[in-house]
Amino acid sequence: MVTLEFHDPSGTLEITQPHARRLATLEGKRIGFVSNEQWQAYRMLPLLKEMLEADFPGIEVLPVDTFPQGNALIGNEETAALVKKSGVDAIIVANAA
Amino acid sequence: MKNAVSGLGLAPDAAMVTFPIGMFLPGSDITPVRSRKREFYEGLTRWQSGFAQGTAGAPALLCVEGASHEDALNKANNLLLTNLWGDGLPLWPATRERVDWILRGAALPRTHVIGKFPPRGGVTTVETCAVALAMAGGRPEYLPVLIAAVDAFLDAESNSDQLQATSGGPFPVVIVNGPIAREIRLNSGFGCLGPDPQRPAGASIGRALRLLQQNVGGALPGIGTMAIFGAMRYTNAVFAEDEAALPQGWQPHATERHGYAPGTNSVSLVFASGVTNVQRRGAKKETPEEDVLNGMWRMADFMRTPNVAALQGYEKGTPGIMMISPVVAKMMAQLGWTQASIRQFLWENSKIPLAQLQRAGAPAWLAIDANPVTRESIKFNPWPIALKPENIVLVVAGGNHPTHYHWLQAHSPRVIGRIMRVPESFDRLLADADRDLGCGSDACRI
Repeated sequence: MVTLEFHDPSGTLEITQPHARRLATLEGKRIGFVSNEQWQAYRMLPLLKEMLEADFPGIEVLPVDTFPQGNALIGNEETAALVKKSGVDAIIVANAA
Repeated sequence: MKNAVSGLGLAPDAAMVTFPIGMFLPGSDITPVRSRKREFYEGLTRWQSGFAQGTAGAPALLCVEGASHEDALNKANNLLLTNLWGDGLPLWPATRERVDWILRGAALPRTHVIGKFPPRGGVTTVETCAVALAMAGGRPEYLPVLIAAVDAFLDAESNSDQLQATSGGPFPVVIVNGPIAREIRLNSGFGCLGPDPQRPAGASIGRALRLLQQNVGGALPGIGTMAIFGAMRYTNAVFAEDEAALPQGWQPHATERHGYAPGTNSVSLVFASGVTNVQRRGAKKETPEEDVLNGMWRMADFMRTPNVAALQGYEKGTPGIMMISPVVAKMMAQLGWTQASIRQFLWENSKIPLAQLQRAGAPAWLAIDANPVTRESIKFNPWPIALKPENIVLVVAGGNHPTHYHWLQAHSPRVIGRIMRVPESFDRLLADADRDLGCGSDACRI
């Protein structure tokens, strides 16, 4: 019997930050979108807004264009500062590629 | 998606609701979103990651047993493929012995971290590179080139996190300058973008880089990389500039682009998305001047295309790499052409009239580019394919034959250079290679 022992070639992964904590409920919450406007976002996100507003009493979903949109803008510090300043409870990031 | 989050340092799982691509096309039916809304709500509220913070552990060792060496080798290759770590060609299992042998080519400790390979974010050490090179059939003396190429690949300015995943299918092109190219049998001549048993280094180095892209970086077709076609992805492109053939007054690519002193061992990494042959030689009784000029026009005509996938490199990257064979470079230099005048000619004569841009829908892509310099370039009519002539990469390489140019259309925000480091024992490795492969890379034995 011949034994061959060899390295797993996939390397290791390092988890350095947790996923965003989920809200217990969306009822009564204020939600925003940050979108890069790609892949039918102009139809998908208004649909999501409509569904959320219909299903969760007291929810406020900000219009899709509340924050800067597009690949050039959604990842920068200015947009992050605007999001924080707005006081939303959560952000849905629509980063399609 | 899992690659994207793990590449950001998040746990390698994510709340997902998946749909076929058709729903994301213009005019599609998006009502499936409504019918699966509970899954969205679950992801936005109750979902939790199954992973804790920290490192996922040291690289594992795998084990197979076979009735014979061939049986064990077969099982090892099957295991690599079923774990999605193969490329369809036979692999050398990266045994400790083989990896330790490859690591003789390292100037840095095996645990030295070069970076995290995007988009998956796999931690990439010198040993990780040695494992890939071992699997790809490499040798120790190739390791300095691979490590420098990986270091360039992982440079934040290379944008490799996006280029690994994009549908455009870019592949890394590694141009090597310096004496190391000849020393390790890296091809700069006939067939330098393909296989050559007398100069085999480029195949192994490029294949190892691709294995790292796939296995550590997560670039699996249709999952981690959405490359629709994926050309040149078995071995990428790793070749050397033929510095000995540079006409008088011409500088090596690494000196021109990166300012490295001639004779420095270095790599220059560009992402390309295509390889095009351009027949340049005339067919009848042209004068030398006509022959060159006709060929240059044919080259410019190939370049004159609104390559909107390459806009990231408009200001500081490159629209592509022009490969000129030594005999053509010499002929052009004798007629007074310089590297600068070649670039200037191509830049001027590959400009695209605004009407042609408009009919191709290119202004919309210019308008959404992240770089204001690129966005503002729409004011140019005709529109140059790069901000300045110097962006065009010019390399003297290929067989000593006058009939063709090669144009490697780029998809590259930057051209990233790295100086190589070789171990003190490098001469011994080269002597070992002479012993194993025979001397005389110049001697054609075919």
